[in-house]
Amino acid sequence: MTASIIQPGEIQPAGVEAPFIRLPEQAIFSRRSERFKFLAQGHAMADYLKFMAHIAAAQQQALAAMPQPSLPDAGQLSLCRQHGMPPLTAQSWPRERDWQVALRQIVGEVQPDARQATRSAIERLASADSNWLEAQAGHLLASRYDQLDLAAAPFIGAALQVYWVAMATALGLSAFGRTDNPTLCPVCASAPVASVVRIGGEEQGLRYLHCSLCEAEWHMVRVKCSSCESTKGIAYFAVEGSSGAVKAETCDECHSYLKVMYMERDHLVDPVADDLATLALDILLDEKGYMRSGPNLLLIPSADSPT
Amino acid sequence: MQVTRRQFFKICAAGLGSSSLVMMGFSPTEALAEVRQYKLSRTTETRNTCPYCSVGCGILMYGLGDKAKNVQAEIIHIEGDPDHPVNRGTLCPKGAGLLDFVHSPNRLRYPEYRAAGSNEWKRISWDEAFTRIARLVKDDRDKNFIAKNADGATVNRWLSTGFLAASASSNESGYLTHKVVRSLGILGFDNQARV
Repeated sequence: MTASIIQPGEIQPAGVEAPFIRLPEQAIFSRRSERFKFLAQGHAMADYLKFMAHIAAAQQQALAAMPQPSLPDAGQLSLCRQHGMPPLTAQSWPRERDWQVALRQIVGEVQPDARQATRSAIERLASADSNWLEAQAGHLLASRYDQLDLAAAPFIGAALQVYWVAMATALGLSAFGRTDNPTLCPVCASAPVASVVRIGGEEQGLRYLHCSLCEAEWHMVRVKCSSCESTKGIAYFAVEGSSGAVKAETCDECHSYLKVMYMERDHLVDPVADDLATLALDILLDEKGYMRSGPNLLLIPSADSPT
Repeated sequence: MQVTRRQFFKICAAGLGSSSLVMMGFSPTEALAEVRQYKLSRTTETRNTCPYCSVGCGILMYGLGDKAKNVQAEIIHIEGDPDHPVNRGTLCPKGAGLLDFVHSPNRLRYPEYRAAGSNEWKRISWDEAFTRIARLVKDDRDKNFIAKNADGATVNRWLSTGFLAASASSNESGYLTHKVVRSLGILGFDNQARV
């Protein structure tokens, strides 16, 4: 019998800090596409979710084709760090036209699978001039929904996601840190689409908020309102009889909610796809008088701007 | 740039009819009909501190119940608090058994008294319990309190009684316990139910 001797470094030392920020992995959109397809099975809105799967797959292709975007320089980054500001703030970052290239690529890719109403929207996008697209992007990022072409807006959201993912991953983790507002994304200052309670390693059981725009995730302690930071009056609502993988974290202080997804219940949950597959939860919470605190750029709920 | 409070969004049955979903040519009708069959269940997650020892591990207690007056809230699961710096989500075997401790049929629910030499516990009222404890404490202190030592120096100590408090106490209750116990002159004083 041979005895194996444990070498130094083989046992992971205790007390490794979990990362504050997690940047999206390169295959984020193709994973999301697979998830949409999976969730579409037997779903009352299967056609819609399948089409969203096409959009996510097209996002992945557009991301792969995206040229290296211009990024903030070292001076800007250190200024942001000094003042606790996100370096790629959605509403003030001077967008390059690359996102519009991604947009055209996405709509070109999904057009064959699109419904008539969607095709008309795609034609409007294709014939629109660059300034109109910029204006629509501005309205979407500022949640001015009454100014949007609703059927076209999800494509604009999809293209902006690709552009911001490209920028965030090109800059890398070292460019980002904690900012002054823990309820907004430390990369781009957008509101989260949902939060995820993760599994595995030092992240086991920790909750990360998932950015609605750049797909970065940042840590926030559990049982705390991700909108007003109250720790009082937090409850979790789930559809009775569901797996419990998707719940709504409600806050009785600001009367808002955001979905929280438990990887322990389903390790493949995707904050964007699982959100759109559980709109029933949103409707039931609306009837209970709660408002949602984060957008999903692939679904513009109605032409009314948020309050 | 938004400087007001966070914007809130409304996803509702009526709103979906004019949402991007419908504008893209999809119908929410079937999904909306399905929603009518669904009900919500409410749970809570509550932070607390494990009561066993002075390590003071953070715990998350999962509760079931909708705050309605006629519904008994129930703790359904307890796990280590992943956000707690002391235990980072872990629990020792004693802490891991907390749920059974909470639901144990043997939990003390009221004061009981077993007389010396007897093997029988008798239920007594809180008043009786407090009076009896106060009487015994006073008698013992009156009998054994040491005001001055052999050299005549003031010591004000009471060595014949000790005090064991809870290891999961907050700073505030720790402060109060300390004030009460030390002002009586007790020296034997511990907050740790030894691991």
